[in-house]
Amino acid sequence: MSALPEFEDHGKQEIKYTTCYMCACRCGIKVTVEDNKVRYIQGNRHHPINKGVLCAKGNAGIMKQQSPARLHQPMRRKPGTERGAGEFEPISWDEAIDTLSERLKKIRETDPRKLAFFTGRDQMQALTGLWATQFGTYNWAAHGGFCSVNMAAGGLYTTGFAFWEFGDPDWDRTKYHMLWGVAEDHASNPIKIGLEKLKRNGGKFVAINPVRTGYQAIADEWVGIKPGTDGLFALSMLHVLLKNSQFDWDFLVRYTNATQLVVQTPGQQGDGLILRDDNGNPLVWELEKEDFVDGSQVDIKPALFGEYTAPDGRPVKTVMTLLAERYLDDEYSPENTAEITGVPAEQTERLALEMAHVAFKETIELDIEWTDSWGRKHDKVFGRPVSMHAMRGISAHSNGFQTCRAIHFLQIMLGSVDCPGGHLAKPPYPKHVPPGIKPAKECAPNTPLKSPPLGFPTAPEDLVIDDDGNPLRIDKAYSWDAPISNHGMMHMVVTNAVKGDPYPIDTLIFFMANMSWNSTMNTAEVMDMLRAKDENGEYKIPYLVVSDAFNSEMVSFADLVLPDTTYLERYDTISMLDRPISEPAAAADSIRHPILEPDRDVRPWQEVMVELAGRLKFPAFTKDDGSRKFADYKDFIVNFEKEPGIGFLSGYRGKDGQSHLRGEPNPKQWEAYIENQGFFMYHLPESQQFYRYANQEYLELAKHAGWVGKTDPITIELYSETQQRFKLAGQGLYDGPQPTKQEHKDRLTEFFDPLPIWHKPLEQTRIDEDEYPFYAVNQRPMFMYHSWDSQNAWLRQICAQNYLYMNRQKAESMGIEDLSWVWLESHNGKIRVQVKLIEGCEPNTVWTWNAIGKQKGAWGLKDDANESQKGFLMNHLISELLPKKGDPVDDITNSDPVTGQAAWYDLKVKITPAEPEERGSWPQFDKVKATPGMSESPDQLRYHAHKPVHLNRDIRDVLTRGSLDDDKN
Amino acid sequence: MHPALSVILFTVTSGAGYGLFVLLVIFHLAGIGPAMSHGELIAHGVAALGLITFGLLLSTGHLANKKNAWRSFMRFKTSWLSREAVFAVLFYPFALVYGLCVLLFGPEIGPLGMVAGLVAAILAVITLFSTGMIYGCLKTIRQWNTALTPANYIMLGVATGAVAYAAIASAFGNATAMHAGVAIVMLLIAAVLKGIYYFWISRVTGPTINTATTFNRATVRLLDTGHTAGTFLTDEFGYDPGKNTTDILKMAVFLLGFIVPALVFAAVLTGAPAAIGWLALVSTLIGVGMERWLFFAEAKHVVRLYHGAQHT
Amino acid sequence: MRLGLVIDMDTCVGCHACAVACKQWNTSGTTGPLTDYQPYGEDPSGVWFNRIRHYEVGDYPNNKTVNIPMSCMHCEHADCVNVCPTGASYKRPEDGIVLVDQDKCMGCNYCAWACPYGARELDREDGVMKKCTLCVDRIYDEALPPEERQPACVITCPAHARFFGDFDDEESEVSRLVRERGGVKQMPELGYKPVNTYLPPRVTRPIPTDDVRANTLISSVKDWVNKMVAR
Repeated sequence: MSALPEFEDHGKQEIKYTTCYMCACRCGIKVTVEDNKVRYIQGNRHHPINKGVLCAKGNAGIMKQQSPARLHQPMRRKPGTERGAGEFEPISWDEAIDTLSERLKKIRETDPRKLAFFTGRDQMQALTGLWATQFGTYNWAAHGGFCSVNMAAGGLYTTGFAFWEFGDPDWDRTKYHMLWGVAEDHASNPIKIGLEKLKRNGGKFVAINPVRTGYQAIADEWVGIKPGTDGLFALSMLHVLLKNSQFDWDFLVRYTNATQLVVQTPGQQGDGLILRDDNGNPLVWELEKEDFVDGSQVDIKPALFGEYTAPDGRPVKTVMTLLAERYLDDEYSPENTAEITGVPAEQTERLALEMAHVAFKETIELDIEWTDSWGRKHDKVFGRPVSMHAMRGISAHSNGFQTCRAIHFLQIMLGSVDCPGGHLAKPPYPKHVPPGIKPAKECAPNTPLKSPPLGFPTAPEDLVIDDDGNPLRIDKAYSWDAPISNHGMMHMVVTNAVKGDPYPIDTLIFFMANMSWNSTMNTAEVMDMLRAKDENGEYKIPYLVVSDAFNSEMVSFADLVLPDTTYLERYDTISMLDRPISEPAAAADSIRHPILEPDRDVRPWQEVMVELAGRLKFPAFTKDDGSRKFADYKDFIVNFEKEPGIGFLSGYRGKDGQSHLRGEPNPKQWEAYIENQGFFMYHLPESQQFYRYANQEYLELAKHAGWVGKTDPITIELYSETQQRFKLAGQGLYDGPQPTKQEHKDRLTEFFDPLPIWHKPLEQTRIDEDEYPFYAVNQRPMFMYHSWDSQNAWLRQICAQNYLYMNRQKAESMGIEDLSWVWLESHNGKIRVQVKLIEGCEPNTVWTWNAIGKQKGAWGLKDDANESQKGFLMNHLISELLPKKGDPVDDITNSDPVTGQAAWYDLKVKITPAEPEERGSWPQFDKVKATPGMSESPDQLRYHAHKPVHLNRDIRDVLTRGSLDDDKN
Repeated sequence: MHPALSVILFTVTSGAGYGLFVLLVIFHLAGIGPAMSHGELIAHGVAALGLITFGLLLSTGHLANKKNAWRSFMRFKTSWLSREAVFAVLFYPFALVYGLCVLLFGPEIGPLGMVAGLVAAILAVITLFSTGMIYGCLKTIRQWNTALTPANYIMLGVATGAVAYAAIASAFGNATAMHAGVAIVMLLIAAVLKGIYYFWISRVTGPTINTATTFNRATVRLLDTGHTAGTFLTDEFGYDPGKNTTDILKMAVFLLGFIVPALVFAAVLTGAPAAIGWLALVSTLIGVGMERWLFFAEAKHVVRLYHGAQHT
Repeated sequence: MRLGLVIDMDTCVGCHACAVACKQWNTSGTTGPLTDYQPYGEDPSGVWFNRIRHYEVGDYPNNKTVNIPMSCMHCEHADCVNVCPTGASYKRPEDGIVLVDQDKCMGCNYCAWACPYGARELDREDGVMKKCTLCVDRIYDEALPPEERQPACVITCPAHARFFGDFDDEESEVSRLVRERGGVKQMPELGYKPVNTYLPPRVTRPIPTDDVRANTLISSVKDWVNKMVAR
């Protein structure tokens, strides 16, 4: 056979490295470009996140770039047309920005909180948060409140780091991995890479999820748990560990507050708080001295268990005593939890003991020298090779915060926190428990906020409420409704703004958030709210600005549309000030830079924000002489310093680009990142890779880099005093702000607890569970990211219609046939959906893929697209408020009462077969119109970067040779 | 398998044509039956070649890239489709020489015509066999992967040819008991073979979803094909008319394809006018058309196992 | 050489990365473009060389979900090649890759009928059959770094469930995996001798628990005696 032809004209091709944005995983990509067209996107094998691999979404980047839904130019709602009608007229960027900055200027001069600015799936909260802070409005948050704030909060209030962006299993060394409530998304590639390593190394993989698809498919053991009961399952395993005395005694004594003493004076102020000396240091009982000593000292021998009487006469118990008393109770025995969780007692007990075996009988010992926070040198690190990862299935319940804490409790009991084989932190984490930032509480005209809008309350004093205890933020975050809502409560913004509760706003900006569709609860009614007018005929949300790259459902509700670029067309940072791309053993951050020239009149939202900040003369964006400090986003990233030497990007700092983590601005920083394949990595020496809550070298580095504010050791909080302070406030025993309404008192008393509790998801306490017998949850397909990928011609071929999946045997017992149409009804409404029967589903659960269902016409899809005609959204069934019972709780958010995390998965439903003629999904809505500049979506696609070079078979070969094997015979 | 109309019409008409041609040559050259007029001979010949040519032209109908159709002769060595094409084309010069001799010389065509006719008849049978083997050689479709497939193709061609022969003869007032008898016998053999075939395919054998997926110790069910809509594979292999339809059609095949024409010829034998042979031809072509549709529709390609079928 | 893939069903999570990577590479590859029909309309479809199918083995609660990516198996006994009337389908003698000469195919679909694994798809627009080329336009491209001279599906697989190599070389990774993990073939009874081989799910090691069970279970906090552990 002749030599192969030259298939690719490499001379015409250019290789560029940037960061993927087909989901929030932030993989490094290597893009081959040819004539401003993408030839090939592959994973960057040097990149810390994906190490060369790339998921289905990342591989379909070409088709996002080709999307017919791309917005083409700035637009305003056509004068005289109604909001939501989708009638737009193009305007120039100058006009768009003039209009917006004029409006914002007035707001900022008068009452800055009349601007609410909420962002969706962006990865630039450091910038948007800074922008809001400088504007002076605390009405800002990203989507974390309806995403996974419980994961973050659960960890940051316990171990100082959490899952995903905060920490990773030590995939190289772990021997046992428990995956909790992880649908197929975050963190996409790292989990897949890790699970394979685990299995290759002979480790065991246990998956806890009511559904067995995705990662659970390859689990060695599947725990098909009932939704919302994971916390009880975790605490039941904790019960087993305690019963068998399987916990890491040394670890608890050294690194946690297990030995601290808790005041036991029920009904009195101060009950349940840690016993402290006059300097505020926690006291412990020293076993040799047989006396109370400062528990922050080392080389003492504190009692782990015990009840004592404090010098002031108050009875105290160690945290561990309280913990053991609670969880040794039969209430938590596997036999007693089995009915609620659906997990057989034998399995609960065995899994707990398997973990104990791996942690304590297969302990890893590494010869690594390190120095603890007290300057003591050690020559070994010990690893408890049990690791965990948890995500939205845990967090999207109203008991999610407590459940997250319960999961961390298992890790802590096993001593598998930031140790070899366990759960490792990723810089800038761990942080002190909790991080020291408090949410801003005051807005004043033309004045930046004193602190960022979002922070970490530790006591009722930190709430963002007025003197009467009413919420100050439009989303009611940090109010008595949800005191520790660290990520805000974006899912409440539209409802509250339309009600004018706590007050009306003027302008609402949504960036990259589909808040009229799959990112909102109660979709149909929220669509009405967005259009709602007051008695004067004015819109209740007077001005709605949407920035997005694509014609999403939300765009049609905008008064002003600012078209964003795609991820291949802009500069961007995945900043160390945010949640960067670090690995456990390396601090890392990264950038995007334009790979392609936009073919439309679009601008990156980053540029628009920097432009607006300059025009509005935000102090941080303005020189002393009143002129603009930053020419554009690139300039801003290079020259902005949060504190001396600390900027958005931590690599290649200093005039010469040789300083890392901290250093002067480097005018060539972008070039340095681009040259280094779009990312920066600072490798930690082995001595700084473990026990970082008490690792002196590491904490010194962390302080130098601005990751932590002090080098004090981080005490892991089994016992959460923060929780107790709010509980005391509910009980009327707190010396500080206390709620006045009974419903708030009840919620604080019931749902706040210094040790994790399990309670029934709230929705289930306010409906007739016999009427709505099924749990209903959403899972995420691995090949789609929320609503984004129905516009993707390749990915939608994999799935353009979601089904309601249910357990086959259960369905058969109800006479429900495969592929039949049924009505699904909750307390909030009903929808018509098509059923698919499967084995891998807990019998009392039904589920579907999230965000496949689309509004007709949106995302460049044709009217007959499967997504709109047969696909559906579960969102219609989920209320943003708790089920109505005619009590004051009716108006409280359907969220975790601790963190305000949207309780998407608390939903319960009933199923009834549809009539034979009832086909297709319901409800249906008006068609989303195409926007100016969009062309008709094609009937056929034949994407190629260049004409193919064919391989031709020689004619003699044709005539003489069949398949090899046959010729041999 | 998706029953492509072009392929059904092709195999039915060309099959009848080859069958008619073979019988024509045998009856003509061996002098079986009543002597044929020049006109009748030409009519048989034109009908046969017409049916064959019509069928072959239709056969290119399902090609997605007709400009490369000429290349189908290239792989005679291994491909039955290539062989069919080669034999079908090779048939023509001999058939045309035979036809030319008939045109020029009438019934007494001389040795050249006789040899050409004989070779053409043999090539006709080989072509029918090759057509059958196109399907018969496929291990992926158990309903086809049997010697019964080429046997059926040959016998159905011959039987429809026999019916056509009798019908044409009747048009010339030349039909006799011999014609009717031959048609009945051929129909009977074809019907028996088809009956055996239907019985044979009703017994499930071969790969299952278990061997396809490699999981042999438990029930395997399809969870998701990995694509929302149909693909080339589901279009091509996913056709399933359902057992009710196929059962009814099978009865219709026997009724229209074999029983009605046989009864018609039985009536002719017992004195009915020979002209009703045309009824038999129409009936048998419809019946065999349905048989051919079923041949495809009932064929279950093993790829279906990957789309959820438990067996083929 | 006998080039082909090993696919690990123990780690394949069914994410479709390989399928889309394949689509992406090959739409601009030697047999591209790969047409998509109704890309934004009802029932979108198109030409793909690699499709991931999902199955459930066993009844609830003893069910396991299995993901099976499937593309051309580059069979040793490649009937698709033998049945092809035009000679467009061929198996390269030097490495066993089965290819379709796009300029010779007449689009009769016969090769697809002969393929038990659904590896071949007709491009209706081009009128020719297309299929996995094992990225013949990558694996021999010396302009690519050596580690990238692999099929796009293998490079991209996040679960490292795909391996590419020479099955004739007993020392190759693919041969070793097949030996060590007991590789299996789909529908071996048909006799196509597919080269691509699947690794069955691993059997989990049993984890003992008797060594962490207490002889006497703790019933109250008072059962514990404090240990002298220095902080």
